[in-house]
Amino acid sequence: MAVAFIGVRHHSPACARLVRETIARLRPAYVLVEGPADFGDRLDELLLGHEPPVAIFSYHRDGERVHSSWTPFCGYSPEWIALHDGRAAGAEVRFIDLPAWHPALAGRANRYADADRRYAEVAERLCREFAVDNTDVLWDHLFEIGDADGLGERLDAYFDLLRGEAEAGEDDTEREAYMASWIRAAEDAAGGRPVLVVTGGFHTPALRALIADGPRAWPRVPSPPDGALGGSFLVPYSFRRLDAFTGYQSGMPSPEYYRRLWESGPERAAEALTETVVTRLRERGQRVSTADLIAARTLTEGLTRLRGHRAPARTDILDGLVAALVTDDLDQRLPWTSRGPLAPGAHPAVLEMVTALSGDRVGRLHADTPAPPLVHDTAAELERLGLDRAGTVALKLADPRGLARSRALHRLRVLRVPGFVRDEGPRTGADPVLKERWTLAAADRDPARLSALIEAGAYGPTLADAAAAALDERMAGAGTDMAALAAVLFDAALCGCAGQSDRIAASLAAGIAGASDIAGLGAALGVVLGLWRHDRVLGTARSPLFGTVVAGCAERVLWLVEGVRGGPAPADPGRLHALAATRDALLHAAGPLRERAGLDRDTALGVARRVAANPDVPPDLRGAAFGLARALGDTADPARAVRGAAGPRTFGDWLAGLFALARQDVLDDGSSVLGVLDEMVTALADDDFLVALPALRQAFAFFPPRERETIAGRLLGRRGAAGSARALLRTAGDPVLIAEAKALERRAGQALAAAGLLPGGTP
Amino acid sequence: MTHDTADYQRPPAEVRFADELERLREDDTGHRPPGWALSLTAARRFVTGDDALGVTRKFVGDTALIDRALVTLATSRGLMLVGEPGTAKSLLSELIAAAVGGTSTLTIQGGAATTEDQIKYSWNYALLVSEGPSTRSLVPAPLLTGMAEGRIVRFEEITRCPPEVQDSLLSPLSDRVLSVPELTGPDAMVFARDGFNVIATANTRDRGVNEMSAALKRRFNFETVFPISDFATELDLVEAEAARLLEHSGVRAAPRRDVLEVLVTTFRELRNATTEDGRAMDRLGAVMSTAEAVSVAHAVGVRGWFLRGEPGGAADIVECLAGTAAKDSPEDLARLRRYLEQQAPRRSGEQWRALHAARHLLPG
Repeated sequence: MAVAFIGVRHHSPACARLVRETIARLRPAYVLVEGPADFGDRLDELLLGHEPPVAIFSYHRDGERVHSSWTPFCGYSPEWIALHDGRAAGAEVRFIDLPAWHPALAGRANRYADADRRYAEVAERLCREFAVDNTDVLWDHLFEIGDADGLGERLDAYFDLLRGEAEAGEDDTEREAYMASWIRAAEDAAGGRPVLVVTGGFHTPALRALIADGPRAWPRVPSPPDGALGGSFLVPYSFRRLDAFTGYQSGMPSPEYYRRLWESGPERAAEALTETVVTRLRERGQRVSTADLIAARTLTEGLTRLRGHRAPARTDILDGLVAALVTDDLDQRLPWTSRGPLAPGAHPAVLEMVTALSGDRVGRLHADTPAPPLVHDTAAELERLGLDRAGTVALKLADPRGLARSRALHRLRVLRVPGFVRDEGPRTGADPVLKERWTLAAADRDPARLSALIEAGAYGPTLADAAAAALDERMAGAGTDMAALAAVLFDAALCGCAGQSDRIAASLAAGIAGASDIAGLGAALGVVLGLWRHDRVLGTARSPLFGTVVAGCAERVLWLVEGVRGGPAPADPGRLHALAATRDALLHAAGPLRERAGLDRDTALGVARRVAANPDVPPDLRGAAFGLARALGDTADPARAVRGAAGPRTFGDWLAGLFALARQDVLDDGSSVLGVLDEMVTALADDDFLVALPALRQAFAFFPPRERETIAGRLLGRRGAAGSARALLRTAGDPVLIAEAKALERRAGQALAAAGLLPGGTP
Repeated sequence: MTHDTADYQRPPAEVRFADELERLREDDTGHRPPGWALSLTAARRFVTGDDALGVTRKFVGDTALIDRALVTLATSRGLMLVGEPGTAKSLLSELIAAAVGGTSTLTIQGGAATTEDQIKYSWNYALLVSEGPSTRSLVPAPLLTGMAEGRIVRFEEITRCPPEVQDSLLSPLSDRVLSVPELTGPDAMVFARDGFNVIATANTRDRGVNEMSAALKRRFNFETVFPISDFATELDLVEAEAARLLEHSGVRAAPRRDVLEVLVTTFRELRNATTEDGRAMDRLGAVMSTAEAVSVAHAVGVRGWFLRGEPGGAADIVECLAGTAAKDSPEDLARLRRYLEQQAPRRSGEQWRALHAARHLLPG
């Protein structure tokens, strides 16, 4: 047959070797490779002589969706070898798959992801049959370490089996039909000379069947719908990112190991891997003795033989090392057994192994590669907005042009492009500042700016897309750190990226689910709720993304609050603010809460009542929960509850909680709380009063001055005394004297700090 | 076996699976390490199952773990199985000992009162007094027997023993010799024969009770046994085991699958301290192992059948959880209550609703 197929697994060195041998043997007229057909006329760009890993980054934007994806290549990718060797052998080289923007590829961020994720059942049965834990181990066993003879037949059998039982999805069928049309045309054009087709092995059985009949003219490269914005360009890639695809997007793991396997064979790869792991561990002060290394080597040998390998495979080395080097119990399953990413808190030895296998290689593009569109887009954008000059710029955020300029500058800031510094502007979502002042450096004096922009080009073609992608990445890196997440979120608002990405919402929600710091969550909730309710300038008011976050935070705070236990302790303002923010969310964002978190007033009220009534909960939280219940419409009598919280050591803290959430209960005309309080404070013995005083002061600090005046007036009224309530709040001393005393205190504080006698440094 | 084992409550693995071992031995073509009853591949098939030979799968877990364990035993290091209680460490050690050494009964049960006598050897004092120390008056303990016969010795719950007792393993493991100073001549030294090795198990909940010495740790390869990672596998196991136990208890209603689903999900979430959709929670202090899930499922079935003549529902789970999960710990009880209050209503399904509705059945 004139058409030869090689079904590969993407990024497999064994397949790359087979492709290389086949091209040398067949000297084909055409080499057809699974890759974006719309990049076909720019293959020269791809063959300039880059240092892999590099990737074709594709983006697309139309009225309905935004999509960006990568087609990554390593030096040992079968596709990369097919392109290079094919060209060198004088063959016509073509990409034959649908473009990345095509709806058939809409769900994919990594074109070269494994297909077996989508057809897991057969793969699972195979694993069971070969007594291995997952398809990566199976793949090594069958192909990477297996005999080179008959590799092609084994690959065909494997993929036939995988495909034979699986019903291909609609998307796959569409792509296969398109690829088959290229193959048929090439077969005709070759006129009897061989044609080599290199595609994902999962497609091969279908392609074989499809080339028999159908039109034989060269197919058209589909063009994107009218009005759509899109394109593809080359970006440097890294092994870290290649290894970071998870779930159904993932491909072969451990790129550094497979690079070594490709370059120097299994024995040398095993040696190098062991050496790297041991060096890294010793650098970090972990003890690795010669005896351990001998044990690891022995175990690896034993495993290699037990599993019937001619040379140690990836997991033989890893299993040997882990058995010999780890002398503790592990907290999580080994990542190469469970085939998932490493969770935080992994054993240091395991962490070093995974890192060493993953490698830190970063690709580099040839100097003649065209600059990514971001560079041009940024220059145009800055010129359009009049920001292409050095100096200071003052912006009004309420003005549309001011807002556009502010967003552009913030986008450059989050992309870490140097030369744009904000001197003034809103710091939090609740900040009522509507002006910003920036200092811009001249572009031509800053060579770092161009290189930063080229680097940032991998994030996207335009400032808006790139900033959104950079924010995504930061958000993923922030993990469960709510303060960091809130900062990213605020940046997203400043950049005008708020409603843009579902991924942002997803990673934020994931962060919330794992967060355990109530104060941090509360701070985030405060910021987000402020933006969700009020922010019309930045356009985040009622944004669904922020609504999701509000719902998630409020739900999580309630969950965490119910778990707090502890005896009497000073009131924790962060915790109280978190509950206050939750109350605001329940009152003002009831819609999203019910929709997204299934959280309604009754559920929250249930939590509040249980916490308020639980004697094991710290007093401030009990008071706050009581206040929350009142705010949500509970009618329990606060005066009675105040009495119940008695005890000079606790009731100040309890009140702090109550006042943080429900000050109005004290101020209401018919309220008896003040009377009860007055009674209790009057009844306190002198010693008890001194004990209670600091907490009481803190509690009453939740009232603004005007309300304090009201309270003072009521107290005067209760005692039948006439006089100015305001005077009661004033200090008795001469203000000048107090100011002098304060100044003296400050000087003493400075002197102490200078002598290093004051904890915390500055007074 | 010459004894009649039919009425044994639980015969050892080599008796329970005697026919499977026999078939594997006949089919075994691989190389056997010296002193081993089976080759490594055959031993692996004994544990992970082989449909073609009618060998059942006896341990649900990573195959790579079995590989590492077997290879370790063929080297000069001992095998240490660590993990949470109820992860089938002892079962795995029993299976491997039966496959590799042909017997799983050379077992030392570690505990606070374990002495060196119970590990190495002791004396028949009547003979000792009348004849003096001799091989006749010597009573060998599992370690001595294992070394002399070249068998696998199992040491259960090693970290329950005081450190000085643990350290009596040092010279048998490194020098492969046990001295009996009371005897003279060649009998004073017992050299380990091929096939001898030690499988120890330790419980991570006992960490810090009797920390192992670095010298002893160095002579073992550690393998962590994890709870079953796959929901469906765990559910199937719980269903099968619970059905077996219920039948034994005279319950004639099979457990309901949807009830078991709720039960297993609850156990997994409380064990992993995260919900299935990734929300972080508190970890329960109590052990939430698969074995515990089976015993709760058993109790649920018994309650349902003997109290109401039906298979038992979500309300029974709540009642039984209070006894298993919370035991005597008020903190755990509070965590459990919080789980039922806030996580259960997030799920859909009749049994989840019933679980939520039954939350007030928790004591306290």
